[in-house]
Amino acid sequence: MSLSTPTSVLRVPTPLRRFTGGASELPLAGATLRAALESLRASHPDLLERVLDEDGEPRAFVHLFADGRDVASVGGLDTPVDGVSAFTVLPAVAGGALPGRERRLAELRLTIPEVEPDEARDLVEAGATLLDVREPDEVAGGSPTGATRLGRGFLELRVEDEIEDRDAPLLVLCQGGVRSLFAADGLARLGYTDVRSVRGGFAAWEALGLPVETPRTLDAQERERYARHLLMPEVGEAGQAKLLTSRVLLVGAGGLGSPAAFYLAAAGVGRLTIIDDDVVDRSNLQRQILHTDERVGEPKVESAARTLRALNPGVEIDAIRGRLDASNVDELVRAHDVVVDGTDNFSTRYLIGDACVAANVPNVHGSIFRFEGQVTVFAPHLGGPSYRELYPSPPPPDLAPSCAEAGVLGVLPGVVGTLEAIETIKLLLGIGQPLVGRVLHFDALETRFDTFEVAAPQRTAEVTP
Amino acid sequence: MSTHSPTSTERLTLRFVRSARTELEDRARRGYPHEACGLLVGRRDASGAAVYEVTESRNLESIRARDRYTLDPLHLLAVEEDARTRGLDVLGVWHTHPDRPAYPSETDRAAAWEGWSYVIASVERGEVADVRSWRLDGDSFVEEEIAS
Repeated sequence: MSLSTPTSVLRVPTPLRRFTGGASELPLAGATLRAALESLRASHPDLLERVLDEDGEPRAFVHLFADGRDVASVGGLDTPVDGVSAFTVLPAVAGGALPGRERRLAELRLTIPEVEPDEARDLVEAGATLLDVREPDEVAGGSPTGATRLGRGFLELRVEDEIEDRDAPLLVLCQGGVRSLFAADGLARLGYTDVRSVRGGFAAWEALGLPVETPRTLDAQERERYARHLLMPEVGEAGQAKLLTSRVLLVGAGGLGSPAAFYLAAAGVGRLTIIDDDVVDRSNLQRQILHTDERVGEPKVESAARTLRALNPGVEIDAIRGRLDASNVDELVRAHDVVVDGTDNFSTRYLIGDACVAANVPNVHGSIFRFEGQVTVFAPHLGGPSYRELYPSPPPPDLAPSCAEAGVLGVLPGVVGTLEAIETIKLLLGIGQPLVGRVLHFDALETRFDTFEVAAPQRTAEVTP
Repeated sequence: MSTHSPTSTERLTLRFVRSARTELEDRARRGYPHEACGLLVGRRDASGAAVYEVTESRNLESIRARDRYTLDPLHLLAVEEDARTRGLDVLGVWHTHPDRPAYPSETDRAAAWEGWSYVIASVERGEVADVRSWRLDGDSFVEEEIAS
């Protein structure tokens, strides 16, 4: 008779009973605990895998006991089975609340739905808004085509100006898919009901080859220069970038053109084309503030360009010394987003007016007489009449004397030209109510502003559906 | 035969007998501002589990006891033995999150076992603010309903 193999039992805790068919105890047979456990490998491979690692040693998250004593202290797996009535395997129980960041992220992942980038692209095509919440220097390197860009920093303060519908589907994107979870949570707290985070962020978007564009963004110097614009939601970073890529044609560098060009350059309208064939005369300096006494006799456009470049070197000034005429008007007007009319004669006004109608370019119009001025925007494609529709023929010369003949209060073009600059910026940004179909009249002696509605005439050529 | 291995499709409920719930909250409060931990003892059936008793273990984490816990294995051994002799089971673990929500952390998930309930009590400024129960389903935690 040989010695019988020592036997004992292995007690299995509830989490591991899935691997024992529900049994709380298994018979153990072997000289040592190691041999006895190995003999279970054939019948209970899953259990063994949870108790022992690849090297056959107890796993870190497992404790083994021999009749209540930790086997680690009595010989480990070499503990003899003989004399032990029960071995017990127990899971190590540990955990903890973790650093705030990881804890918060785990919570967010439970509450914020995530979408894959290609799914996000499909949702955008179906009308969802993609919000890129990365920092400007990240966006400068590329951003999903058509995305709305609102940096995480001002997101909650500005998003309601951009997205009014609380139930609109919003897809939030950052670089890697983590910051967008925080951003999405912030949006949900503001009351947006359908907010999802794009998994993997822009990195994943780019890796999948989804459409990317490189939007105009502001550099540090521009952000400093236009800081007061950036604070206003109506302009903001996107609006300022729009101004910086806008082109405005100023016809005339005189009384109206001076304040208009000054403020448009200061505001960061990216490209200003100024056309004028005149030279600076000492009598101009009473109102034409772009010029200086030492530049008397210089071409006005050269003087204007020097002044404007000194004010804002970031703006491109295209100075054309010459006259606007039928040969160049259409091409010049087409190449700009808005035309500011600062002329002093009717033939040029008709020329500008007609070219603007043909090119669908708004024509910001101002005129002055002694103590009175008026401003309006001719843009029939937006409503209201064109210049020629409002004034079918020029007045007789004795009713419309020039400044040289009638005189003008020097400050007056400052008011009117500045109003033209304001209308121009509103048109470029698409904000507020431009003076379309309305004429603003200013009486400096009475200090009165009056607005008159001017209706567009019936246009027979137009077919209403 | 048994119902020890719930599948992920089942909606399970964890019920506390009243004295067990009171016990849990008392222990959670007393442990504050440290993490307290212990075991849930009771019976499991087809619809879920009923907690009859709540035990408390020493937290072996002495240095990071504000945000970590390690349950004393000897406590688990003793409770397992005792439960077994009375025909009861260890159903899971409870621990507290001092001044943190009752959601499982990555640390909790990494150390969790399938088949157990993980009850987390959020204790804010010494008062129990929230109690939730979680079960590991594959790689992630799913919440289970607590009825009391």
